[in-house]
Amino acid sequence: MEPRGEVFVLGLILSMVVLVVSILISVWARRFTRNLGDYYVAGRSIGAVNNGLAMVSLALSLTTFLGLTALILEGVYIAVAVYASFTAAFIGLMILAAPYLRRHKSFTTMAFISERYGSKTLRYISVVVMLIVSVLYLAGNLKGIGIVFFYLLGVPEVVGIIVGGLVVTLYVTVGGMYGVTYNQTFQTIVLLFCLMFPVAIVLKTLGAAGWYFPPLGYGDMVPLMSQIVPHYFWPMLVHPVTYIAIFLGSFFGIIGLPHFVMRFFTVRDAREARWSTVLCVFLVGLVNTTVFATGFAAVYYMNTQGVDIPTAGYDYMVFILVDALAGQGWLALAVAGSVAAGLSTVAGLLMIMGVGLIHDLYGAIKPDVDDEKKLKLSYATMFIVGILVIIFSLNPPEFILKAIMWAFGIAAAGLGVPIVLGIWWKRTNKYGAGAGMVVGTLIAFLGWIMIDYMGINPVDIPFPFFAKYFYGPLGFIKVTAVAVPISFILTIVVSWLTPPPGPELQRQVDEMHGWTDVDPKRYNSKGLPITIIILSVFVMWFMTTLYDVFPK
Amino acid sequence: MKDYKLEVWITAICFMVVAVTGGFFSSIVVLLNERFFDAVPTPEALIPYYGEGMYVFKQQLSIMGFPLHYFLLIMLSWIGVTIIGAIWCVVMDRIEARQKG
Repeated sequence: MEPRGEVFVLGLILSMVVLVVSILISVWARRFTRNLGDYYVAGRSIGAVNNGLAMVSLALSLTTFLGLTALILEGVYIAVAVYASFTAAFIGLMILAAPYLRRHKSFTTMAFISERYGSKTLRYISVVVMLIVSVLYLAGNLKGIGIVFFYLLGVPEVVGIIVGGLVVTLYVTVGGMYGVTYNQTFQTIVLLFCLMFPVAIVLKTLGAAGWYFPPLGYGDMVPLMSQIVPHYFWPMLVHPVTYIAIFLGSFFGIIGLPHFVMRFFTVRDAREARWSTVLCVFLVGLVNTTVFATGFAAVYYMNTQGVDIPTAGYDYMVFILVDALAGQGWLALAVAGSVAAGLSTVAGLLMIMGVGLIHDLYGAIKPDVDDEKKLKLSYATMFIVGILVIIFSLNPPEFILKAIMWAFGIAAAGLGVPIVLGIWWKRTNKYGAGAGMVVGTLIAFLGWIMIDYMGINPVDIPFPFFAKYFYGPLGFIKVTAVAVPISFILTIVVSWLTPPPGPELQRQVDEMHGWTDVDPKRYNSKGLPITIIILSVFVMWFMTTLYDVFPK
Repeated sequence: MKDYKLEVWITAICFMVVAVTGGFFSSIVVLLNERFFDAVPTPEALIPYYGEGMYVFKQQLSIMGFPLHYFLLIMLSWIGVTIIGAIWCVVMDRIEARQKG
C-alpha cells in the first residue's frame, strides 16, 4: 500500500494537538496523585459518567477505527457478528463481574484471583497470563498508530509506533490512573466527533437519505448495493460454532482482560460501576454501528466507482474513503480521532502491565516494601514497560483484529473463567482455578503460537481429536470453543474433587454480592456447575457435527 | 433468601438474553439461512467464491431498507443490550438498597 503522497499538514497539526493535550492532561492530573491507591486506581473516586466515557475509548481502540472497516471489506456478516458479541459482552461483564469486583476492593484482576482463592501461585500465573494478553493487544494497537503516520507522512510505520508509544508511555508514567482516566474521557469525546461527522459527510456524498444519522442512515442505498454486490449481506456460512466461539471469547475475554476490569476498581461504588457500563455500551454501540456504515460506504464506493484497493490497504480504508469523499478538513478530524483511539487503549494496557508487575508480582515477592517505594518503582516500571512494548511492536501482526481475537481467547480461558466462577460459585477452590487457568491458557496460547506465529494450518496442529474441526474461514477461532469449555470443566471438576475453600474465602463471595451476613447456601448450589459442564460439553460436541455441511 | 433468588434469576435471564443477541443469534441465522435468504444463480464473476448457487436476502424481509437479520443483529446488540443492562441495573439498585436496610 502506498502512502497518501504528500505530507498532510492539517491532519498532522490536529494529531499533534491530541498528543500535546494528552500530555498536558496527565501533567494536570498528577496533582491528584498522593499515594499508591491514587496512582493505581485514581483513589476509587471516579463517577459513572466519567468512567463510562473512559471505558468507551478503552473499548474503541484502533481495532475498531481501522481494523473493523478492514474486516467488513472481507465480509460484513462476520464483522457485524464479531462486534455484536463485543458490544453485548460489556453487559455480560457487568452482570457477571463488574460490581462484584468493585466490592472486593482489589487493585487488579490478578490481586482478585490471588485473594479470592488464597493463593500466591495463582497470582504469579495470572500475572503471566496478563502479560501475554496485554502484549498481544498492544502490538495490534501500536501498529494502528504506525498506519496513521505512514499514510500521513509516508514514513515507515515504525516511526509512528515509536512516537505514539513514547507519548503514551510519558503520560501514563506521569499521570497514573488519574491521568489515564481523564485522558480516556477526553479521547472518547474526540473520537465520537471525529468519527461521526466525517462518516456523515461521506454518506451524504454517496447520496444516503439519512446521512445525518450514520448508524441507520444508509437503508435507501441497500437495493442498489444488492444489485452490484448481491452477496454483501449474506452470512458467512461457516460452522455455527465459530460464532459461539466468538461469543465465548468476547464475553469471558472481556472479563479476563485486566485493563477493562481495572476501570471498575476506580469507581466510587458498585452502583457507579453498573451504570457506567450501561453508558459505555450505548456509546460503543453507536460507534460500532457508525463503523458498519463506513464499511458499507467503502464497499459501495469501491464497486460503484470502480476503485480497486489491494487487500493490504484495507486497514487504511477509512482514510481513503474520507479523503476521497469528504475532503481534507474531515480527513484531518478522522486522523485525530484515530490517534486518540489508539492512545487510549495503549494507555490502559500500559497501566495494567505496570501495576501488575509492581503490585502483583514485586509486591507479592516482597510484601514488606512500603507504599512510597512501590510508587517510585511504579513510575520506573511503567516507563520501562512502555519502551519494551515499543520494541516488541516493531514487528506487528499483519492484521490488527486477528491479534486482538487471540488476546480475547487467551484471556477468556486463562482469567475470565476463574473470575466468573470465583464470584458465582463458592465451592471453586485454588486447585480447580489453577488447573483451569493453566490448561485453558496453554490451549489458547499454544494455538496462537502454532497457527498465527508459526503459520501452521489450524487443521494440521498437533491438537488431539479437535484439530480436524478447526477448518474453514476463521477456523482458528474455534480454538476458543475448546479452551474456554475445558477451562470451565477442569475448574469445576477439580474443585469438586479437592477440599472446599475455607470459610474466610467463602465469606468473600457473600461480601462481593453485598450481603452483610454469611449464608453457606448462597452461591453454593450444584445447579450452576452442572449446567456449565453440560453447556461446555455441548459446545465441544457441536463443533464435531455438521462436518460435511460447511466449506472447508 | 428472596433477594438472593431474585439476584440469581434476573442475572441468569439477562445473561441468556444477552448471550442470544451477542452470539447465538448469528449462529441461528447461519443455521436457518434459507428462512432469511433466497437461492439464486451465482453471477459468473463470483462463481469461484460461492459456487454455482448463492443466496440474496428476501426483499420482503427488510426494515428501514436493511435486511431483517442485519437490522436485528445491529439493533439487538446495541439498543437491545443497553435496555437489558439498564433493567438489570434498576433491579440490582433495589436489591442493594434492601441489603443496606
